[in-house]
Amino acid sequence: MSGLGAFLRGLRVTGKVMVNTVFGDGLVTTKYPQEFRQKPQRFHGRHVLNRYPDGMEKCIGCELCAGACPARCIYVRGRDNPSDEPVSPGERYGYVYEINMLRCIFCGLCVEACPTEAITMTHLFEISTANRRDAIYTRQELLMRPDGSVPHMFPDDPLAQLAELDTADGWLRATAPSGVAAYEGVQAWQGTPGPASWAPEPTQDERDA
Amino acid sequence: MTDLTREGIKATVGEEMVKVTVDGQEFEAPKGQMLIQAAQNHGTYIPRFCWHPRMRPVGMCRMCLVEMETPKGRVLITACTNPVADGMVIDTKSEVAKKAQEGVLEFLLINHPLDCPVCDRGGECPLQDHTIAYGPGESRFVEEKRHFEKPIKISDLVYLDRERCILCARCTRFSDEVSGDPLIEFLDRGNFTQINTFPDQPFASYFSGNTVQICPVGALTSKAYRFRARPWDLVSIESTCPHCTTGDRITVQASQNEVLRFLGVDAEATNWSWLSDKCRFGFEFIESPDRLTSPMIRQEDGSFTEATWTEALELVASRFTEIRDAGKGLAVLGGARGTNEDAYALAKFAREVLSTNNIDCQLDDGLDPQFLAATADRARISDLDSARTILVWGPDLKEEHPTLYLRVRHAVQEKGARLVLIHPWRNGLDDRATHKLTYRPGSGAALLTRLQSEEGEVATALAEGPLVALLGRTGYGEDGRLAEAVAAHVRSLGGKLLPLARRSNVYGALDMGLAPSLAPGRATTDNPGKNAAQILEGLAEGSILGLLMVGSDPVRDVPNGELARQALEQARFVVALDQFLTDSSRLADVVLPVEGFAEKEGSVTNVEGRVQKVNRVVPGPGQSRPDWSILDDLSDRMGRSINLVSAEAIAKEIATEVPAYVGVTWDMLDAEKDGVVVPLPEATQPLVYLPADTPGKSFSGELVLHYARTMFDDGVLMRHGPSLEHLAPGAVAILNFDDARRLGLSDGDQADIKTSQGSARLTVRIDPSMNHGLVYVPFNQPGIPSLGSDPVVTVTKA
Amino acid sequence: MTYPLLVTKRMTDFPSDSHTLERYEATGGYKAARASVGMTRDQLVEAIKNSGLLGRGGAAFSAGLKWSFLAPARPAYLVVNADESEPGTFKDRQLLERDPHQLVEGIIITAIANEVHRAFVYVRGEYPKPARRVQKAIDEAYAEGYLGKGIFGSSYDLDVVVHLGAGAYICGEETALINSLEGLRGEPRLKPPYFPAAVGLYNKPTIVNNVETLSNLPHILNQGIDSYKGLGHEADTGTFLFSISGHVKKPGNYELPHGITWNELIFDIAGGMRRERRLKTWIPGGASAPWFVPSDHLELPITKDDTAKAGSMLGSGAVVVMDEATCVVRAAERIVRFFAHESCGQCTPCREGTSWLEMILRRIEAGQGREVDFDLLLDVSDNISIGLAWPPRMTTICPLGPSAVSPIISITKYFKGEIMTHIHDGGCPLPA
Repeated sequence: MSGLGAFLRGLRVTGKVMVNTVFGDGLVTTKYPQEFRQKPQRFHGRHVLNRYPDGMEKCIGCELCAGACPARCIYVRGRDNPSDEPVSPGERYGYVYEINMLRCIFCGLCVEACPTEAITMTHLFEISTANRRDAIYTRQELLMRPDGSVPHMFPDDPLAQLAELDTADGWLRATAPSGVAAYEGVQAWQGTPGPASWAPEPTQDERDA
Repeated sequence: MTDLTREGIKATVGEEMVKVTVDGQEFEAPKGQMLIQAAQNHGTYIPRFCWHPRMRPVGMCRMCLVEMETPKGRVLITACTNPVADGMVIDTKSEVAKKAQEGVLEFLLINHPLDCPVCDRGGECPLQDHTIAYGPGESRFVEEKRHFEKPIKISDLVYLDRERCILCARCTRFSDEVSGDPLIEFLDRGNFTQINTFPDQPFASYFSGNTVQICPVGALTSKAYRFRARPWDLVSIESTCPHCTTGDRITVQASQNEVLRFLGVDAEATNWSWLSDKCRFGFEFIESPDRLTSPMIRQEDGSFTEATWTEALELVASRFTEIRDAGKGLAVLGGARGTNEDAYALAKFAREVLSTNNIDCQLDDGLDPQFLAATADRARISDLDSARTILVWGPDLKEEHPTLYLRVRHAVQEKGARLVLIHPWRNGLDDRATHKLTYRPGSGAALLTRLQSEEGEVATALAEGPLVALLGRTGYGEDGRLAEAVAAHVRSLGGKLLPLARRSNVYGALDMGLAPSLAPGRATTDNPGKNAAQILEGLAEGSILGLLMVGSDPVRDVPNGELARQALEQARFVVALDQFLTDSSRLADVVLPVEGFAEKEGSVTNVEGRVQKVNRVVPGPGQSRPDWSILDDLSDRMGRSINLVSAEAIAKEIATEVPAYVGVTWDMLDAEKDGVVVPLPEATQPLVYLPADTPGKSFSGELVLHYARTMFDDGVLMRHGPSLEHLAPGAVAILNFDDARRLGLSDGDQADIKTSQGSARLTVRIDPSMNHGLVYVPFNQPGIPSLGSDPVVTVTKA
Repeated sequence: MTYPLLVTKRMTDFPSDSHTLERYEATGGYKAARASVGMTRDQLVEAIKNSGLLGRGGAAFSAGLKWSFLAPARPAYLVVNADESEPGTFKDRQLLERDPHQLVEGIIITAIANEVHRAFVYVRGEYPKPARRVQKAIDEAYAEGYLGKGIFGSSYDLDVVVHLGAGAYICGEETALINSLEGLRGEPRLKPPYFPAAVGLYNKPTIVNNVETLSNLPHILNQGIDSYKGLGHEADTGTFLFSISGHVKKPGNYELPHGITWNELIFDIAGGMRRERRLKTWIPGGASAPWFVPSDHLELPITKDDTAKAGSMLGSGAVVVMDEATCVVRAAERIVRFFAHESCGQCTPCREGTSWLEMILRRIEAGQGREVDFDLLLDVSDNISIGLAWPPRMTTICPLGPSAVSPIISITKYFKGEIMTHIHDGGCPLPA
């Protein structure tokens, strides 16, 4: 191939986008905050601490999330579960749970480390604060309400998209069936078992269509 | 009985070396050593759960199966129960051995709950580690696991989760073989075998915490550490136990600047990884919310107000200077619980700044400082292992010197030493004693004279060496000079001595000169000052006006607590350096907060003269400061600077100035795992022993008081630890049935116990093992006034 | 065909009073004991060694050889293992109940041979009547001066104590028995030392012998070694008590010489199969032994060596016969359940493995078996008894764990089809 051919070929994408931007509506940027972009399934947003349907907390205070955290931004302390009024099933519950969102790199390792699927991530990402103290999320901010809804730090903020908190990030388990024909129609993208779940794996026909 | 019946597998390790081949590597090992140990010493780790180097093998877990070549082909043997033999050829990694090990792990895991995330052992669990290293990867077990009630409380300190238990018998062996309180055992059989206590009998052992440390899974967990942290967020630093004089090596573990756990370190010289519960769980005071965080000055109305360091130090300096310059008496009490560096600073401060020799780190409950510090023929703890005869004539070791108790027990039980036990009453070592003599406190000298003059089994036993004697005061009714007289006798027999005293660093403090008659380095002073009892009397009668208390609580700790209270109330000016407001520091005029154990670095000296390091793990609370820095500051303000700049600088000064400690630097202590035994200047320290028939205190009463300590009492460090504060047995008066009947008392009655120094109303307990004419009252129990050191006692029905 | 009787002769001839002292002495009792008082240890040990008497407790180890291993330390003890608890075995019970003096005489001879002055009879806890009979016999012997101070007028002292077990199969294992006797948990001790003759009861040299073994001793001394040997078959001297149970017409104890075939034993002596059903399989030597099947083993002579060569053992002589209506999975499950229940709990493979095997078998029997369970059974068994060989290569302290594996080895070897039918058809094909 001649040098010029390769050169033009390389510019093809650039040219296409340029034409689209100038003459069409193919803007690459969005007019945030008037417009919100649809986030990808696997988007890692703010964390949420889940509950079981009976209202029990899933967190058992095992500190595995803190151990897995590469930014060391999670601080957990466990305590003996009061037998008369248990907070979580089992012997132990997490009575201190803090995430320093300034340090968090949203890698999701805490979600993978969690043995009870207590901590998951949502799609909420507008979490900037005016002071450092507010960036430390405690159990109070992170924990799902008994009715299953997730508290928002600034619910009155015009930017607050409460629905994002109800959207769990997509989570590909090591054993996920995706790609194997036998799992056609089976839920593949495991929405982290937070407040939402995902559609099943599309069939080949659906994919082709 | 167990020691007899298991004799067959008690291997005696000899000198002779044999050639063994393990995994193709040939090496020499002492004949009789267990294969698992020999292999480990030469770099081959054989997996194990039940085997523990400090206990006899049981071969129960079967994890250490290896293949051995025999003329009949290869056989599987357990490496923990088979001693090495000449020409042994072992394969630890053959297909068969690996399959057997995998199989055992799979078997162990089929009934093991996978609650690792909430298990205290998770992260430091031998079962987890072995599963990863030797396990099959996945389980084929699809049935329901075995269930038991989740953790049951088997004592105030220990929880048992039988589901997690893998039945390795470590805890049962420990309590049977090592500590001598076989309170947990196997119940049922087969798949339903479980560890449990006997019905209605808690696991009330003084050593129960060790079972938590040696449990290879999370079946035994301690109340104090339960769910407090995970192993991976602990900072671990080695240090030396702050509770008794044995100098037990421990690992202090902290998370987020909070001390959460003590673990025993397997130090050959001292504690072999064992700790008493008082030591193991006696860390909670460090994080107590009652710790003093700022200087306090007492007001006219008796209340304390917080002050700045400047205010407080100015006040102290001016009042002390005033008393000193007026030529009135000043005195110092305490200093035996800190580091050698702080003790050195205190001795220097007292002699150079306060110009006094009225210094005592023992609180009228010990022995002569010369005897304690400068005994030339002092034994090492390890001498117990090679002793033919061991004489214990002193406090109940199990109550007051728990790790020494374990060492004596081991020497008698496993090494065949003979134990001569002399004590007024029942004693923790009774079941192992070859000869047990009881006597009434006060008549010890007569007993000693008899021992010296008469022929008999005991005299014969003592005459046959090597002899090691552990000597101290059996109780506070006992004259301290008796131990010296016994020491003279032991010395005449060629035996070695361990003189016993209380408070963790009392030997170090004496070596640094915290005694009326000793200068730093065990040198005698020309102009001895007053001892603790004389100081208190001096304060009470006004011949001494000022007192500096350093980590001491005379009101609770001196046998005659009433005298101490009067002394503190009468004193013109009292300063306390303390971590807490104690019954004594509450009476002080100024209380200065100090850094305590795990908050400062330094060295300490144990009963055998072994110097070891203590290390800083967490910062002190609030504005607390180390003792030396407070004393240095005061010395400046009092116009006679002692020029101390840091603990390490003091250590360097000690290493050049204090004769016995010359050359003992921190670098050396950090490098030597077991510390350094400081030289005993035999030639320069001739000791004058009292003749054996020196009478003790004379007494004429019908009843004699045996007033001695228990492991758990109302001491300030225990009072501020939630786990230990309830464990004090409480005050009772224990009498023989005949004496009780004569006094018209029956079990459970209230009685007034009265001595010349104090009185208390106590519940009477009748115990058939109590000698006639003897009343036992445990010392320093919550809410009970002290009875003093006069053994003459009257008991009347209340 | 009839065979001469030895240890059961008296009870056969005098079924009503064979246990009494009068009858015992009237039929030549205590003659051998009296004679042995004057004999030396060497003479007695040599005699028993030459007689070829093999231990009848299951291991078939030469009794004389065992005695000769006795360590020199004294006191030495004798323990009579009357803890007969192998499923299918009931011979000792008969000997204890019907001829206790024969045992007492055996004890006296053994005691003299081993310089023992204190003997213990450890009787199975579920045997109250035999224990009473033995106690009575001992009391009578004391009264006659055959036991106690200066037996038979000599200067030899001998005391015998009867101790009842507490219902544990494992206490039939000699070191567990010794533990139990000492008041400890009935758990086998570690080996080495391999023989209590070196270190045993209360840490002293100890001879542990079975009831039947001791019952043979008076006869050996009375009728002479050659005559005794003549009763047996080559190396297996003397007679042997078979306890035959199961689906035969005439179950019971039979005293027989070795060397006859299984065919003769099952079809002639035990009267053949009940309800004329076909023989399916039998256990040749107690629940721990691998099974035999008619196609391979019916014409095999019953000797120690032939049985061992065929991969099993005669053990304590318990023959359990099963007919074609027997479900082998259920039979194996019952045996494994027994061993799981009787495991002492010491060694991991036995404690966990036996109950796991029981669960798998129960699942297969209940129709919840999976294809993988067949291999799983074998592999779990392999982890208890490496290589599934006979005699077993153990991963445990004592042979109890590997014993539980025997029925599994047998059913997987001979009845794989039946197991697979269970798995595929969702349950047992045979009527309950």
